[in-house]
Amino acid sequence: MTMTKKKSNKIQTSLGEKVFTVFNYIFFTVLCLIMVYPFWHVAMESLSSTSAALRGGVFLYPKGFTLGTYQSVFKNPNIFSGFRTSILVTVTGSLAGTLLTAMTAYPLSKSRLRGGKVMMMLVLFTMIFSAGMIPNFLLIKNLGIYDTRWALILPGLISAYNCVLMKNFFYSIPESLEESAKIDGANDVQVFFRIVLPLSKATIATIILFNAVGYWNDYMSTVLYVQALDKWSLQAVLRQMLTNTQQAMEQAGVDVLAQSNTNAVTIKAASIVVTTLPILVVYPFVQKYFVKGVMIGGVKG
Amino acid sequence: MKHLKKALCLVLALALCVGLFSACGGDGGSSSAAPGSSQTESKQDGSSSEAAGDDASEPEGGDTASGDKIDPTACGDMETMKVSVANLSGYSQDGSMMQKHLEEKYNIDIDLIVLPGWTDGPTKLNTLMASDDMPSLIWWGWANDKEYQQWKDAGLLVEVSEYYNKYTNMRDYYNSMNPMTLFYDTEDDGKMYRMPASCAEPACESLYIRQDWLDNLDMEVPTTIEELNEVLRAFTEDDPDKNGKDDTYGLGGAGRDWRSFWPWLQGYDYTHYDRFVVDDQGKVGYGPAMDNTKLWLGEVAELYKKGYIKPNMTTATDREQEMANGGFGVTYTWCTWTNKDDAVMKAFYDAHPNAKWVAIDMVKGANGDPQDDPSTSAAWSKFAITSACSDPERLFAIWDDMAERDNYIERIYGFEGEHYTFDEDGEYSPIIHPDGEENTTQNIGLNFFYPIFYRTDDAQLSKTKPTLALFEKVIETSRARADQLVEWQNVTELTEWQDVGTDITDEAGRYMWGVIAGEESIDDWDKYVDTLKGLGLESAVAQAQEVYDAQNAKVKAYMDNKVNQG
Amino acid sequence: MDTGSTKTARAPQNRGWWARLGRDMLRDRWLYLLLLPGIVFFIIFKYVPMYDLRIAFMEYNMFKPEASQWVGWEQFTSLFAKPAFLKVMKNTVVISLWKMLFGFPLPIILALMMNEMRSLKFKKAAQTLLYLPYFISWVILSGIIIDFLDPTSGIVTNLIRAVTGESIQVMTNRAAFVPMLVVTDLYKGVGWGTIVYFAALSGVDPQLYEAAAIDGAKKFKQLLHVTLPAIMPTIIVMLILSCNNILNAGFDQIFMLYSETVYEVADVIDTYVYRIGIQKSSYSFSTAAGMFKSVIALALIVSVNWAAKKSGNEGVW
Repeated sequence: MTMTKKKSNKIQTSLGEKVFTVFNYIFFTVLCLIMVYPFWHVAMESLSSTSAALRGGVFLYPKGFTLGTYQSVFKNPNIFSGFRTSILVTVTGSLAGTLLTAMTAYPLSKSRLRGGKVMMMLVLFTMIFSAGMIPNFLLIKNLGIYDTRWALILPGLISAYNCVLMKNFFYSIPESLEESAKIDGANDVQVFFRIVLPLSKATIATIILFNAVGYWNDYMSTVLYVQALDKWSLQAVLRQMLTNTQQAMEQAGVDVLAQSNTNAVTIKAASIVVTTLPILVVYPFVQKYFVKGVMIGGVKG
Repeated sequence: MKHLKKALCLVLALALCVGLFSACGGDGGSSSAAPGSSQTESKQDGSSSEAAGDDASEPEGGDTASGDKIDPTACGDMETMKVSVANLSGYSQDGSMMQKHLEEKYNIDIDLIVLPGWTDGPTKLNTLMASDDMPSLIWWGWANDKEYQQWKDAGLLVEVSEYYNKYTNMRDYYNSMNPMTLFYDTEDDGKMYRMPASCAEPACESLYIRQDWLDNLDMEVPTTIEELNEVLRAFTEDDPDKNGKDDTYGLGGAGRDWRSFWPWLQGYDYTHYDRFVVDDQGKVGYGPAMDNTKLWLGEVAELYKKGYIKPNMTTATDREQEMANGGFGVTYTWCTWTNKDDAVMKAFYDAHPNAKWVAIDMVKGANGDPQDDPSTSAAWSKFAITSACSDPERLFAIWDDMAERDNYIERIYGFEGEHYTFDEDGEYSPIIHPDGEENTTQNIGLNFFYPIFYRTDDAQLSKTKPTLALFEKVIETSRARADQLVEWQNVTELTEWQDVGTDITDEAGRYMWGVIAGEESIDDWDKYVDTLKGLGLESAVAQAQEVYDAQNAKVKAYMDNKVNQG
Repeated sequence: MDTGSTKTARAPQNRGWWARLGRDMLRDRWLYLLLLPGIVFFIIFKYVPMYDLRIAFMEYNMFKPEASQWVGWEQFTSLFAKPAFLKVMKNTVVISLWKMLFGFPLPIILALMMNEMRSLKFKKAAQTLLYLPYFISWVILSGIIIDFLDPTSGIVTNLIRAVTGESIQVMTNRAAFVPMLVVTDLYKGVGWGTIVYFAALSGVDPQLYEAAAIDGAKKFKQLLHVTLPAIMPTIIVMLILSCNNILNAGFDQIFMLYSETVYEVADVIDTYVYRIGIQKSSYSFSTAAGMFKSVIALALIVSVNWAAKKSGNEGVW
C-alpha cells in the first residue's frame, strides 16, 4: 500500500530507494515490538494472578487473568488525590511554563538585544550549577508556599535546557517575517504573540510535551515541599507504593514479613500502568504539529 | 487577528487553571497551617516551658512534675494534644477508623507525616528536622547514626530515660527479648534520646530442604556439611524431581546475598562476610579479612564451579521470585516462610503441588557447633520524641500504653471478631488482612504506626505455632555465634573506618564475589588481604579494637548498674 | 560583542557608546518587558538558593547551621585523595562517552529514517511506541533486565548462547557490563531523543525538497544537502547541551544494576559518593562532589560552544 502511495509521488524512485523503504518498515516494526515490551510486561503482569506475578518471568499475556487488581487500585484514595494534583500541576505548569519559556527565549534569540548574551549565559549557568536540596527547601519555606501545590509548580516553570532549545528555534525564523509586521506598526510584544508564536507550533508543542512529562514524572518536589497526603503528586504516591519496605528490611537483616498475604506485586504493576497511561495520550496531540512543513504552511495560511 | 484570538484563548485557559488550582490549594493550605505554627512556637519556647504552661492551666498535668504517672487514657480533661508523627511504613491514610479510635482514647490530634519511601525518606526527614516544621515524633529505619548524633547535639531530641523507667511496657518487652537491645540506644551517661522502634528476632533464618526430593532419591536429612554437599550434588545431578530433565540445582535463594551461604560460613569460627568479629581473647578483626573466611569462601566457590549452586546466585535476583519459582532443593531463608498462608510459598505450591519444603536443623561444620545466623541485638529502626512535642511525658505515656500487648494487637490486627478471629487450632485468622486492600479501601487503619514499636513475640498473631517454634529453635542455635560478632553502639566513634570503610568493603565485595563467580582465584587471598591493608585496614581495625574495649567496659557498667533494667 | 566594545570605548567615545546603549535599550523596551518575568524567575528560584553552594567549603551542620565550620578546600581534596577517585572518574567518562557515542547520533538517524516514511499512520504509531520505554523507571526496567539476562533462563542469555555458543553472565562480566549499560540506556532514551528532531524536521521548507528534486537530486542527496543542513543548528545545540551530562553517567541505572564484581568498570562518581554517604553522611562532601562535576561540565560546554562558533555554527550564546 505504501509502495503505491509512493508511486504517486512524481519523483522516480530507484531500486535502492525501494529496498531502503522495505528495510525501513521492517526495521521500525521490529524496533517497536522491542520497545513496547517493558510496558506490555507491566500491563500483562497487572492483569495476572498474584502467584503468577510473584514467579516473574516473561509476560506476553496475562497469566491467570484478573481485573481485581485494578479495582483495588482505583479504590485507593491516595491514587485518586494524586491524580487530581498531578493533572492540575501538569496542565497549569506546562502551559504557563511554556509561555514563560517562550517569552524568555524570544528576546534572547535577538542578537541585537543589549545584554542578551550575558543573560543567556546566566540562564545557562543555572543548568550546570544548581543549589542543593536544602537551600531549595528553605526558599520554598520562605516564599510561604510550603505544603501547597504552588511548590510543585513554580520551581519547574522554566528550565535553562528548554530555554536554549526554544531560543535556537526562534533564531531560525526568518527576520523578514517580523520586519513586515513591524512596518505595519506592531511592537515586539505584538510581533511575538501574532507572528512568532503561531509560526512555532512544532516547537511550542515540543516544549509543552517536555514540560508536561517533566511535571508528570516529578516526585522530588513532593518529597521536599509537600507534606499533606492529599497534595502528593501521583508519582510520589506511586513511588511510596513501590517502596520495597520488605527488601530494605531484608538488607538490614530483618525478616518482618510475618503477614504477606498480599497482592503487592500486581498492585504495583497496575499502579504503574495507571500512572503512565495519562501522560502517554499527550503525545499524539503534540504529534500533529510535527507534520513536515507546518511552519511554512502557517506563513502561507 | 486570528492569532491574537488564539493567544487570548491560551491565556484564558491558563487563567482558568490557575483559578482552579488556587481554589484547591487554598483550603488545604489553611488546614495544614495550624499544626505547623503551633510546633514553631513550642520549639522556640523549649519543651519544658511548654509543659509547664500545660501544668499551670491543667491540674492533672501538674502531677507530672511530682513524679506521678500520667494515665494517658484519662486525659479527657487535658487539652487535646497535637501529635505529628513522621513514619515510613505502615498505614498511610488520614482519618482511618484506628486513627480516630486512638485520637479519642488518648485525647490527641494525630497528624500523619508519611515519609516518601526508603530512598528519599532520609532526605525528607532531614529537611523536616532542619526546618521549624519538626514533627513531635520521628521514626527512622536507616543507618542514620551520624544524623542522630547531630540531632542530639543540636538539642532537637528529648531525653526520655526517666520516662523509660517510669512507663515500662516497652522497656520490659525489650529486656525480655534481648537485654542488650536497650544498651545500644543508651548514652554513656545513662541518658536516652532515641528508642528502639523495631528489633528483629535474635535470629530469623533457617535451613530449608525439599523433603520430597530427598524421598525421591532415598536420602536422609543431612546433619553435617559433607552430607549437605552430597545432597547438593545429588539434587543437581540425580534428577531429584524425576522429570527426566537436567533442570535442578542444589542450592538456591536470594542472589548476591552472603546469608544464602550461611551453612558453610558457620562451619568456621571468627569469620563473617561484612562485620567485625571478636575471638575468645577479645581480639577484634575484620570478618572478610579473617583467615577462616578463605576456607568457607573456597568451599562455596568450589560448589558454584561444580554447578551445584544456581548460577544466578551471583546476581541480585529477587529472593521471593526465586523461592516462588523453585528449581533448587536447599536454601537458607526466612523462618516466616513456614507460615502456611505466606504469599510466596503459596505461589510456589501453586506451581509445585507435590513439593514439600521443610525447615531442618543447621548442619555441623568443621567447628562442630552448628549455629544459625544471629541478627543484631540493636534495633534496626529507632524513634525519638523531638523538642517540638508540647508534652513529651504525656506522649511517651501514650506510646508506652500502645505498646502493651493487648493494645498492640488491637493497633496492628484490629478488634477480635470484627477484623480477625481464631480458628479451631487457635491460629490467627484475618477477616480484614492488615496488608490487604480492604484495610485501605475501607480506611480501617490496621498496622497503624507500624513499626514504631513492633513486637516479635507471641503478640505477633500472624506467626503460626510451628513458625514460633522454629524461631525459638534458631534463636537458641545462634547465641554462640552472636558472641563472636561485634556490634557498635556508636559507629561515629570509628572515625578511621568512616574514612576508609567504603573502599575496604568495595574491595572485599569485589574479591569475594569474584572468587564465587570464578573471576578471582582463592589462591590470591594473600594479595587480597594485602590490598585491604594498603587501603588502611590495619589502623581502622586497631581503632576498632580500642572502641570495642571501651564499649565492653560500658556494657559491664550498664549491666552492673542495672540501667534501664528495672 | 558588547563586552569587547566596553573595553575599547574609553573617554572620547564614551558618551556615544552610552547614547547608543540607551537608544538600543529604548528601541527594545518591549523585548525587555517580555524577558522580565523569566529573569525574575531565574533570580528567585535559581540564583537565590545558589548562595548556599558555599557549604561545599564548610563542614556544614544542617541542624545547627551556626555550628558549621569553614574548611576551605578540604572537602574537595578529600574527594581527590580517595584511592578510588581516578578509577571512578575514568569509569564515569568512559561510560558517558560510550553512551554519547551511540545515544547522540542514533536519535538523529532514527528521526531521519522515520522522516522518509510515507505512511503517516505507521509513522505516528511508531513514534508513539518508540518513546514508551522512557516512561518505565529504572527500578522496573532493571527487574526485567535481570530476568532477561538470567544465566539459566534469561531470553537474551539463551539468544546469545544460540548465536555464539557461549554462555555469558552479563551482570557480573566486566567486559559485557558496560556495553549492557549502553544498550539499555539507548533502549530507554532513544525514542524520547528523537522528539526534538521531529520538531526540527517539521520546520524544513518542502519547497527546498521540490527544488532539489527538480535539480535531479536523489533521496540521499536531498538528505545530505537539504535535510541535514536544516536541522544542523538543532544538532549543534543538542551536542552542546549534552556536554552537561558528561560526568552524569546515569546514577539510577547503574545503581540498580551494578554489583561489587563490576565496580572496576561500572562504579561512577555518583554511585561512589552515594556509598561514601552511607558510611559517613556528609552533606558538604556531596555538595563538593556535585560542584566538581559542574565545573568540569562548565569548562566542557564553554569549549564545545567555542568550537561550534569557530566552525561557523550558531552556538548556544
